[in-house]
Amino acid sequence: MNLLDFARGAAMKWSLAVFVFGIFWRLTGILLLHRTHDYSVPRAHGALLGALRTIIARSWPRREFRARTAYGLAVSYAFHIGLAIVVFGFVPHILLIRSLTGLGWNGLPDGVIYFCAVVTLIALIMALIRRVTHPVLKLLSNFDDYFSWVVTAAPVVTGLLTVAHYGARYETLLALHILSFEVLLVWFPFGKLMHGLLLPVARGQTGAFYARRGVNP
Amino acid sequence: MSTDIDAVHPLDTSGARLSIKKPVQRFDRQGDLSDRERTEAAMRAFMHEFGAVTATYLESCIHCGMCAEACQYYVQTGDPRYTPVHKLEPFKQAYKREAGPFALFYRMFNLKPRVSADELQNWQELLYDSCTMCGRCTLICPMGIDIARLVGQARHGMFQAGLVPHELWAVAERAEREGSPLGATPAVFKDRIAWLSDEHGVEIPVDRDQADVLVSMSSIEIMKYPQAIVATAKVLNALNEKWTIRLDGYEATNFGMLSGNVQWQKDLSMKLINAAVKCGAKLLILPECGHAYGAMRWDGANVYGKPLPFEVLHISEYLARSIAGGRLRVKKAAASVTFHDPCQISRRGGATQAPRDVLAALGVELREMVPSRMGSWCCGGGGGVVTIHRADDLRYRVFEIKMKQVDDTGAEMLVMSCSNCRQTFDDGQAHFKWDKTAHSLLELVADNLVQ
Amino acid sequence: MSKDDSIEVSLRKQGISRRAFMKFCAATASLLALPPAMAAVIAETLGRARRPSVIYLSYQECTGCGESLTRSFSPTLENLMFNVMSLDYYETLQAAAGTAAEAARHTAMKENWGKYLLVVDGAIPRGHDGAYCTIAGESAVDILTGAAKGAAAVISVGTCAAFGGIPHASPDPTGAVPVSQVIKDKPVINISGCPPVPEVITGVLAHYLTFGSIPELDHLGRPKVFYGDTIHDRCYRRPYYDAGKFAKTFDDEGARNGWCLFELGCKGPITYNACATVKWNQGTSYPIQSGHGCLGCSEPDFWDKGSFYQALSTGTWSGGTVLGAAVVAGAAIGVGAAVVSRRRQARADRKKQP
Repeated sequence: MNLLDFARGAAMKWSLAVFVFGIFWRLTGILLLHRTHDYSVPRAHGALLGALRTIIARSWPRREFRARTAYGLAVSYAFHIGLAIVVFGFVPHILLIRSLTGLGWNGLPDGVIYFCAVVTLIALIMALIRRVTHPVLKLLSNFDDYFSWVVTAAPVVTGLLTVAHYGARYETLLALHILSFEVLLVWFPFGKLMHGLLLPVARGQTGAFYARRGVNP
Repeated sequence: MSTDIDAVHPLDTSGARLSIKKPVQRFDRQGDLSDRERTEAAMRAFMHEFGAVTATYLESCIHCGMCAEACQYYVQTGDPRYTPVHKLEPFKQAYKREAGPFALFYRMFNLKPRVSADELQNWQELLYDSCTMCGRCTLICPMGIDIARLVGQARHGMFQAGLVPHELWAVAERAEREGSPLGATPAVFKDRIAWLSDEHGVEIPVDRDQADVLVSMSSIEIMKYPQAIVATAKVLNALNEKWTIRLDGYEATNFGMLSGNVQWQKDLSMKLINAAVKCGAKLLILPECGHAYGAMRWDGANVYGKPLPFEVLHISEYLARSIAGGRLRVKKAAASVTFHDPCQISRRGGATQAPRDVLAALGVELREMVPSRMGSWCCGGGGGVVTIHRADDLRYRVFEIKMKQVDDTGAEMLVMSCSNCRQTFDDGQAHFKWDKTAHSLLELVADNLVQ
Repeated sequence: MSKDDSIEVSLRKQGISRRAFMKFCAATASLLALPPAMAAVIAETLGRARRPSVIYLSYQECTGCGESLTRSFSPTLENLMFNVMSLDYYETLQAAAGTAAEAARHTAMKENWGKYLLVVDGAIPRGHDGAYCTIAGESAVDILTGAAKGAAAVISVGTCAAFGGIPHASPDPTGAVPVSQVIKDKPVINISGCPPVPEVITGVLAHYLTFGSIPELDHLGRPKVFYGDTIHDRCYRRPYYDAGKFAKTFDDEGARNGWCLFELGCKGPITYNACATVKWNQGTSYPIQSGHGCLGCSEPDFWDKGSFYQALSTGTWSGGTVLGAAVVAGAAIGVGAAVVSRRRQARADRKKQP
């Protein structure tokens, strides 16, 4: 068994297992903590709608915050959108998703993907530079932030090396690429990457809170 | 990293150091608990807060730092310690160690150390002096974390640890003991009502057995802006309401809530609730006070443990409703007005439109501040901050934002519907020798009633 | 035809012209990626070379490699090559049988000791002391070890000989191993493929005969000149891959248009071989050109890399049971963590109100 066989076989199986195991552990551990009933009379009904609204609307800052957050936001959007295009638009990735979930769709031309991957990598590096230089981010950042950055950037780097056949033989690069993604899968439930799943819950809670109070955020 | 000594104690190179008589005290302590007892008490109180909603928020932070950009303290000082979510660091650390899904591992391998008394003391300034719980951070957070709520919860632990800024602790204690944080005891209040009633020739019913409407007051109004009592009476009399003030429950402020004492918050709220229940009120009117709205309109029923048997309205909501129903008629007032949104009523309370409807009825040109409504800047005095004298300098710095906002509108008159904001504005006006005076929306209406 | 004839003489005796011989040399030079001038050198050297003795041993194999080499129309380059060699032992082709055949092998070994080429196809079973494959009472391991002693070089033809191939595939009941695991003290050239491209075999032999050395090998012992690029890199359908045009089934529009077969499990990107350049049947076609994805047959363990029809970027494991168990276990631990936290909270609440 070579490295690629390991990456596609046992490593993929167990990293996925840890991924779902960790997600269920963390989500149930959070969501099953106690809840208190709110007896106050809501100003308006439609907490669910309010939750949905905030889940979507909070993707974009309110007008008064735009000027001060533009740079950080642009960088974050760049790598989030870039990652989404690369992960969900590249045919080999779609095939992996289809083999796991049965869902598939048409991919984008490789040229588009390579361009997006490079943009993503640049944006990730800009985000890292910002994190180590901005006084607020410097103060807030911990191991989780930096490690999560590494496991996010690594698949992009190894992916680009793989398609460029640069630095090692293709199958080795491909194996490293798959393994780097598997490291991300394993880390996902235990670090900040989990925000991908916590986002609708946290935003939804606040959206429901606002809706109940008639606040129109 | 929080261990960066430069960040914890920033080097002051601009201050006049020879004039400093003694180092600035960064925290106050109540009681003579040992450090260990303080942390344990804080931890027990924190533990109580770690429900599913709070846990979701505490798990969700991605350390993006955006909340700093919404916070007046960070925006004005550039000091990263004022980043809202950073103010929750000990609370978050306690959560991870004590209640999170991985708490067992954090404890087993000591990955998150226990919160120390030193940390709690250092965070006192961040949780009290530099946070009005205005909720702008909640509005900006891309994860939708309600940071303002979490600060309120963290204060519960700080109170149990005896680590509250002393003036705030003292007014809360006085409110619990005397029924008013500012000495507006029932006897004082009764005297004032008698005097105001005479002086202004208005009937102010006190201690009626049965009434449809129970009116509550803020001690700030009773002691500092007694005109508000007259204005309230004028409006309710004009509406022919069957109303009353009750000396067994009139104080609307809740310094138990602001200081972080859950029991005192409950004691203070229950007085008001019991008074309303006793006289069979259908409606409880809250005065021009921001946090009173949060404490009664939204927390009241939860303190009571069941839905309140009466409706709760802020006075601005009551005015807007009466005007809309055609029961209250007003004449044209000043030419142009700008309105300051009290955070707890507008951004945190949802009563944003009501005061604007009232102003529209008054026929004034409303010149909105930028931003206003939800995005409005706080006056800097909420959350009990206005009581903390050591925080004055910081409060004046953030007040500069508000002054500029008001000046930029060019409006003739500055109006608000919160007496706590109003006293913060008055203090800022005196400090900066500013030419703008804060006015009460209620008083503006009362002065322009059509009989 | 005498064994002592030079290659050119022996060819002429068979009626093959010098012109045809030169053509072969030119083709071989090009195949080996040598400059055109080298064709003359090859012709010169090969022309004078004495026909080398070749001993061809077959073990756990299907004879596909031999078929590939021999089943072709005359006069092909392969045939030419075969005719220039003195094939002294090859069970598949030799007329002799039994004791006579074994005697021929022993004679050839003795006469050409230290000079003959040993060609092996098939894996060697080592399980149960080699009992799974014996010839004339001797185990494959022993015959191979003995024959290799006097060989100038050993050439493993086919993936079974080179990497163990299908006999070595899971569950490998016979303990099949490649030649390189049996012969450690001789240069072993691996010409993998199931079967290998015939021109690759002849090219390697020509190289050996011309230069007297073995060509440069990759980390798997394969001549780099043939195994330096992946099928994918040299595939004529590559532009479709780059453009994101893929056949989804074997009879859809994309398949008819000749689009990339990656989605249908083509292993071209990780398969190093000359199929896409040299092609098969005198340059007629190769699997992808015929509409089927590459199986990756020239790579170690190609039989065990999951389905031939599963795309390369997918996992090779199966069974959602592990994932199902992970969900249950995760939820159980999460519930447990929440229960523990709630209990600790209740205890803290009790302490708070004495």
